[in-house]
This record gives sequence, structure tokens and C-alpha cells, in this order.
Amino acid sequence: MLRLHNVSARYNMLGSYVNAVDRVDFEVRKSEIFGIAGESGCGKSTLLKVMYDLIQYPLEISEGSVEIHAAGKDGKPVVYRHGDIHRSWWKVISYVPQGAMHVMNPVARVKSQFFDAISKYHEKKSAKQLEAEIAGYLRELELPPEVLQAFPHQLSGGMRQRVLIALATFLHPDIVLADEPTTALDVVVQRGILTMLAKVQKKMKNSMVIVSHDMGVHYQITHRMGIMYAGQMIEIGPTEQIFESPQHPYTKMLIGALPKVGDNSQKEGIPGTPPSLKNPPPGCRFAARCPVATDLCRAVEPARVAVGHEHMASCHLLEPIAAERRAHHG
Amino acid sequence: MDFYKFLLSRILTFVLVVFIGITAVFFVPRFLPSDPVEAMIGQLTSKSAFMDPKAIETMRTTLNESFGLQGSLLQQYFGFFKRVLITHDFGPSLANYPAPVGELIGRALPWTMGLLLTSTIISWAIGNVVGLLAGFRKEKAYSKLLEAISIALYPIPYYIFALVLIMVFAYIVPIFPLSSTFQGDGFTWERIKSLVVGSTLPALSMILVGTGWWVISMKTLSAGIAEEDYVHFARLKGLKERKIMSRYVLPNAALPQVTMLALQLGTIFNGALVTEILFGYPGVGTLIYTGILQADYNLIMGTITISILAVAGATFVVDFLYPFLDPRVRYK
Repeated sequence: MLRLHNVSARYNMLGSYVNAVDRVDFEVRKSEIFGIAGESGCGKSTLLKVMYDLIQYPLEISEGSVEIHAAGKDGKPVVYRHGDIHRSWWKVISYVPQGAMHVMNPVARVKSQFFDAISKYHEKKSAKQLEAEIAGYLRELELPPEVLQAFPHQLSGGMRQRVLIALATFLHPDIVLADEPTTALDVVVQRGILTMLAKVQKKMKNSMVIVSHDMGVHYQITHRMGIMYAGQMIEIGPTEQIFESPQHPYTKMLIGALPKVGDNSQKEGIPGTPPSLKNPPPGCRFAARCPVATDLCRAVEPARVAVGHEHMASCHLLEPIAAERRAHHG
Repeated sequence: MDFYKFLLSRILTFVLVVFIGITAVFFVPRFLPSDPVEAMIGQLTSKSAFMDPKAIETMRTTLNESFGLQGSLLQQYFGFFKRVLITHDFGPSLANYPAPVGELIGRALPWTMGLLLTSTIISWAIGNVVGLLAGFRKEKAYSKLLEAISIALYPIPYYIFALVLIMVFAYIVPIFPLSSTFQGDGFTWERIKSLVVGSTLPALSMILVGTGWWVISMKTLSAGIAEEDYVHFARLKGLKERKIMSRYVLPNAALPQVTMLALQLGTIFNGALVTEILFGYPGVGTLIYTGILQADYNLIMGTITISILAVAGATFVVDFLYPFLDPRVRYK
């Protein structure tokens, strides 16, 4: 299980800061697929870096903490906090990178790229034994084991992405992070990749975090999801509920912009651009683009309120609903 | 099957390059207005007061024959190919008549090869290591220092460098001889010692300056590779920086450097003129220099032909080695 406590992360740009992740607080539960959605530059990828403990200059965590609760070798619970999560890479938490086209060393065989990531967990095994195990695992995932002998350029984009998913899941990690796993692939291949991810997750019952700007991806495979806007998670809840009754105006507009079968109306984008993360405006960050914003929105930052079962959003206009809910449930 | 096709195409390219090169070597001197035989006869007759016209005629025929100037241009052309490729005979040298050009080159070549092969390979190796560090670990102090030294050395012309070395190590602190002298014969201790002592300064001048160039190009290459996604991902795999450098950055960045090395190795047959002259080193550079000064056509043609064969041969070899280094390149 992965827990983020009010995490803020920023890029240190020679004295000024870009607050790419702002007080994000959520957890990824055991054996669920959690989706993170949002437009470019909203902080999704930074959030993923924070979760994977890839904190390198100029990125730094300015507040909050990241924790992974996992079972240790002897079954006792182990907690990894940011700063030492990297010790559990591939074993407890693994990563499927964005852009499978370029993440493999062009002059090394796929086999050696596997070995680089996982051989340290299999020191006792011979290379041959390990290779046979990897081949067996690939067969399990319905991938031809011959890819191990291939060089990256000999594989198609979809195959490379599958190989990377196989690499990320080979050690049966508790958490798999996938950064835009379907971007830059055509829709048929995308579907195959999503099916594979869902299948692997179902089998291993581990947690998966999928970052994607594509709402369709979230709709297809995530169980719960969070919507990011300008570094903040403005809505979080079960995926079905978010698609059925989105609460935050931004989410509403995002989902309203999705094409539906039988609906021929002209789709419109959301006018305007997100605020600068260097000097975010006071109040609600979406206020400038929000069609229903009030003076209160522009002055005071909204708190996150419960708007449904496990469903929360940060918007002043939702406060009456939340209050009613509270009264109702005592 | 693909391999044989590849082999055949490369052999054809090699033959074509050599053929065109040698053709140019054959024709260019023949377009020159001066006639080496007449020049030589003129030289001889001007020295002696009287010569029998008959003797001059005999001499002309003999010289024409030994220079391959008999018959029509076409006959000469084929004769030239036959001599160069089959009997490896470039004719006698004009400047050192009647020593055959082949022998002169054969005597100078080992010296040049010894000096330039060693210094080129050493500077390539050092340059790549320093460039790799400077490009991949650019934030480290030692990388910056090494890079600064190489950049400072690079623009210095190597002959100025050679002069400084001579002044410091042969004149002010006379550790090494002013000009390279070699004693002894065969495989004796004395000979090896004199080879090392005599070649150190010329080699050093070439290595120091040559390294700078390799550092700069390797630094640019590896800094570019260091930003590639697969290097970032290697970090996410949890690999140590040293391993990333040796397994991910080096093999990718070294590819263009290997090509450049091969081309550079091809050109070493031209010798290093100024170094050889400054250090009195008996290499091919000095030979070409005398050839040009004294309009010794056979010598010029001979050295250029060797150079063409060397560059074409080096390219040929690299074409075969490349698929072993870069799997994306196939024998096709």
C-alpha cells in the first residue's frame, strides 16, 4: 500500500520554485488500479516521480511524506519512506516508463536490460537459470520468449511496451507505477496494452497506478482515480462515480468534452490555460477558467469535502452538498 | 547469404575507390607541363660539357622504360596498374636515383607506423576516457579540470607544442635527444632503449594535441547520450552510475569515435610532416616532403598510392567491424 501525506514537491529553479505538486494527499490501496488524470503540466509525472522516490535535483519534496507499507522477507511489515523507497525498486515498487521507444539501450539485447534491473535480487541463480525464468514469465504473459535475444530496434513499439510491463512485474512487486503507458501507440495496440496491464494486476493482485491524460484509459481499467489540476488533486473517487457524476467544475468539463456514441454535438475545449505554478493565484486555481466561479473562489482556497461515498472534491460550490451529506450521515 | 552479398559489395567499393584513386595518381602528374625524363637529362647534360647524342638517346630510352613512360598513354596506364598491383614496383626515385621508390617507402613506413599508430591509439584511448568522464560526470571537479586541460591543449598547433617540448626536455632539461637518433639493430636492449628515448618527444607532442580533439568530440557525444531516455531509465533500474557509464553511455557514444579512429588510422600513412622534420624523424612525412620539393613523381605517386590503399582498407575494415559494435547496423 502506498500513502501520500500532504505531499508538496517543487523544482528549484535557481532561487524561484515551481510548485509542481501541491499538498497532494491520497492512498493507493491493495490490489486496486488507481488512475491519475490531468492535462499536460498539471504535475502528474512529477507526482509519479515523488511516488517512485526519484527525487533528484532540481526536484525536492518541501513538505509531507510518502510511505510504502509492504511485507518484508519474513512476513513482517516493512515501511519505506521517501528517501529510501529506491531500496525497494523493482521488488516492492516498479515503474513502467513513458515512451517505450527510447528507454532501452539500443546496443544491448533485451535480455541484458532485464538482467540489469533484476539480477541483484537473484544473485544466487545462474544467468541461464534466470534467463529461463524470465522466458517462462514472458510465456505466461503470452509474449514470445525469443524477444530476449532481440535488440530493441527489432521490436515494434507495442512489443517494447509489453516487454517493459513484463520487466516491471517480473519480481511481483506490490505496486506498479505506469507513466502514460499507452501514449504514442495506436489505438489497437493501446487496447492490447491496457488488457495486459489489467490481466497482470488481476493475477498478481497488486496495486497499480496509471498516469494518463487520456480519460478513456481511466474509464477502461482504473478502479479509483484522482484528477489533477495545477499541481493539486482536485477530485478523487471511484472511477465509475467520477464518470457518472463528476463534481468539480473542471472534472465536469473534462468529461463533458469526451465524445459519446450518438452524440453529434460540437465538442469544445476548456478555454484558457492553467495558472503558472511559479506564482499560483490565491483562491481556487481553476477560478480563472471556471464558468461558475464567485469572488469567494478567487480569494479563498477551497478545502476538500466529501461529496459521495469515498468521493471528494475541492470546490466552494460543493460545500452545501457536503454539509447536507454530513447532516444526513450524522 | 546476406553476409556474402555485403562482402561482395564492400570489395567492389574498395576496388572502385582504389581504381579511381590510382587512375587520378596516374593522370595528374601527366598533365603537368614538365617532363621528368627531360628534366633529368637536362640536369645531367648541364653538368658535363659534352655528351654523345647517341648516349643521350639510350639514356632517354632507359629512363623512359624505368619510369614506365613507354608506348601510348593507354599502354602506360595499364603498365602502371600492372606494376603497382602485381609487382608493387613504383619505379626508381628521381631524387635518390636509382633507389626504387618501393624500397624508400618500405624503409620509412615502419617508423611512421610505429610513431603514429602508437600515438593515435593512445590519444584515442585517453581522449575517450577523459571525454566520457567530462560528458557524463560533468558536475565532478576532476571532469571539469580534465576537460579544461584538453580544451587548452587542443588549439595549440602541434609543431609549436613540439618546439616547446624540444626546448624544455632536450635543451633546458636535456633528458631527451634534440633529434631522434637510433642505435643498434634487431631486437636488442640497446635498440629498444634508443627507440623509446628517441620517439618519446615526437610521440608526446602528437598525443597531447591529438587527445584534445578526441576529448572534445567524446564529451559532446557522451553528454548527448547521457540525456537519452534509456540512460534515465537505467537509473530507474537502480544501476550504479559507474555501470551506467560503462554499459549504457560508453558503447553508444563510442560508435562514431570508432569510425573516426579508422579514418584517422588510414591517414597515418601520410606521416606527420612537421613533427618528423622537427625531430629529425625518418618517416613517410619527410619522404613526401622531399618528393614534392624535388619533383620526384615516382615517389609522390608511390606514397599517395599507399595512402589511398590505407584509407580505403581502413574503411573496409570498419565496415566489417561496425555490426559487432552496433546491432542496428547489419550486413546488408
